[in-house]
Amino acid sequence: MTRGDDNGRGPHPDTIAGIVLLLLSALGFWLTTGFREVPAMLSQNVPPTFFPRLVLGLIAAGGIGLAAGGLRAPRLELSRLRPLVFVTAGFVVLVPFAIMLLGTLATVFLVSLGLPLLWNERRLRFVVPLALGMPAAVYLVFTVALEVRFPTGLAATLFG
Amino acid sequence: MGLPGLEFAAAVFTDPAVIGLIVVGTLVGVVVGALPGLSSSMAVALLLPFSLYLDPIPSIAFLAALYCAGTFGGSITAILINAPGAPPAAATAFDGYPMAQKGEAGRALGTATIASVTGGTISVLVLLFAAPLLARVAYSFGPPEYFALAVLGLSMLATISGEAKLKNLIGGCLGLLIATVGIDLTTGVDRFTFGVPELLDGIHFIPVLIGLFAVTELLTQAQHLGRETRVVTLAALKLPSLADIRGVFATILRSSGIGTFIGILPAEGSTVAAMIGYNEAKRWSKRPEDFGKGAIDGVAGPEAANNAATGGAMVPTLALGIPGSATAAVILGGLQVQGLRPGPYLFEEQPALLYGIFFAMLLANALFLVIGLIGAKVFSRLSLVPPALLWPSVLVLCFVGAYGLEQSMVDVWVMVAAGVFGLALKRYGFAAAPIVMGLVLGGLVETSLAQSMIIFDQQWSGFLGRPIALVFFVLALGGIAGAPGVRLLRALRAR
Repeated sequence: MTRGDDNGRGPHPDTIAGIVLLLLSALGFWLTTGFREVPAMLSQNVPPTFFPRLVLGLIAAGGIGLAAGGLRAPRLELSRLRPLVFVTAGFVVLVPFAIMLLGTLATVFLVSLGLPLLWNERRLRFVVPLALGMPAAVYLVFTVALEVRFPTGLAATLFG
Repeated sequence: MGLPGLEFAAAVFTDPAVIGLIVVGTLVGVVVGALPGLSSSMAVALLLPFSLYLDPIPSIAFLAALYCAGTFGGSITAILINAPGAPPAAATAFDGYPMAQKGEAGRALGTATIASVTGGTISVLVLLFAAPLLARVAYSFGPPEYFALAVLGLSMLATISGEAKLKNLIGGCLGLLIATVGIDLTTGVDRFTFGVPELLDGIHFIPVLIGLFAVTELLTQAQHLGRETRVVTLAALKLPSLADIRGVFATILRSSGIGTFIGILPAEGSTVAAMIGYNEAKRWSKRPEDFGKGAIDGVAGPEAANNAATGGAMVPTLALGIPGSATAAVILGGLQVQGLRPGPYLFEEQPALLYGIFFAMLLANALFLVIGLIGAKVFSRLSLVPPALLWPSVLVLCFVGAYGLEQSMVDVWVMVAAGVFGLALKRYGFAAAPIVMGLVLGGLVETSLAQSMIIFDQQWSGFLGRPIALVFFVLALGGIAGAPGVRLLRALRAR
């Protein structure tokens, strides 16, 4: 998944990764400037910025090394991600919203039904029992046995 | 480790519930290992939140059994469908699958089982004796030594994969950076919290692990969906003969030693051990030309090594608090969440827990001897479960596990972010294991460095006066610069 064909047209993936890491380090360093200052006496001369900045410096150095290595390396382009990867990622990102809106058990049902259908699984004799069985299993194991209190969702609050 | 610990552990392990948990852990481990895409690291990460509902000993025993069995389970699909269920089984596929194609699947699986059990058992015995010895040495360690040891552990990330040395080191640093989120313990200043109160306690590592190991793999599966696998039928389980076992016995013993040693090295895990075990089996073989075409030593070597690495990896994890592998890092995190302090003092404070882990790993090895020899045919059918039905269940477990830990939606968001971020990292060649290692070690690294700097009055040169720390630093430097240095020397000599 990580490597594609040779003779890519754009910059080497390592160069891109190196630059992103440098930008991340710069952003991180800027964020450390916003940390509350404390007297040297209290911090015992080890301020709260000391360790994060040290690590950010190492990441930046690594980023430079990676970018430089990418410039010297033969051209390479990453293989393309299938649209299904982006759709699945979108689906995963939507799940927490669904939990907050519909509640956990309804979301578990939707995930167990929706993801197989999204991944082109059309054998409903397998999909439907999975979609019905998963919320039941989650309820029995986690809510009843382990006493986990799952969010019931806005819908339950409004109509409950 | 005193006798009272042994007595207490014996009492715990006569409890049918604990035995049952270890059996369940072993079964789940073999199932997870046998399912392509699911690894023991992922399984331990996914089940860690639920194990926290148990007492420490059953909880860690369950995870340890899962770890051992998950490493073995990967060999089933490696042999039958040429798709290693877990990365440590990759080397097993080199000769296991050709054996299966020749109609010797049962012989390959039987050899893998016996090699795994032997390797695993030898390493647990080494763990039983080596861990307390190492812990005794570690009693004399102060913050500078611990900092140097953690640096050594992180530097070993560079040797996990020759191609991605720098990326592994950067990954380790990213893990360290994530570990700085929250309140600084020395000054009480909040760092990288962006005004979110739930982040004041820091980013809990379990949602990050679940995201990096499971959600990222789910997205990766979406990329590979629809690939056809050819399953080799296992009509009859023809076990290896006594002559077979006699023939590979030396390989099994050698690989068990190699695997245990590799496992003890911080950060090195079963995958590296398996590759070295395979190469050494080939190097010592009288017929190296048969390797890759179905050599029985090519199955025994990596299988003994990768299982031996599980016990080996627990040695630094328990004795020093420095994980020996990615899965051991997750177990280390589990110990921390249970309120235990991994390291030499664990041997004084929780001897029963340590005996518990030893017993659990030994029992797991004995169990997968039975499972491997009798149940291989059943477990091989697991590879036929369509990903489109398997992964929704994994995704549900991810969300439930991430939420169940603290019953907080912030953890769920952290998991989703880690999963998507993990996909981007994986695409650019960054592995999850170094990030996990950095994240788990983050607290130790920062605290021990801060304490060292206070002891040394802000002078880095203070480390020069600590010989043990210096040795660790030199080893770390050797790990990072060793291979490039050798290459440079060779190039200079060639000129």
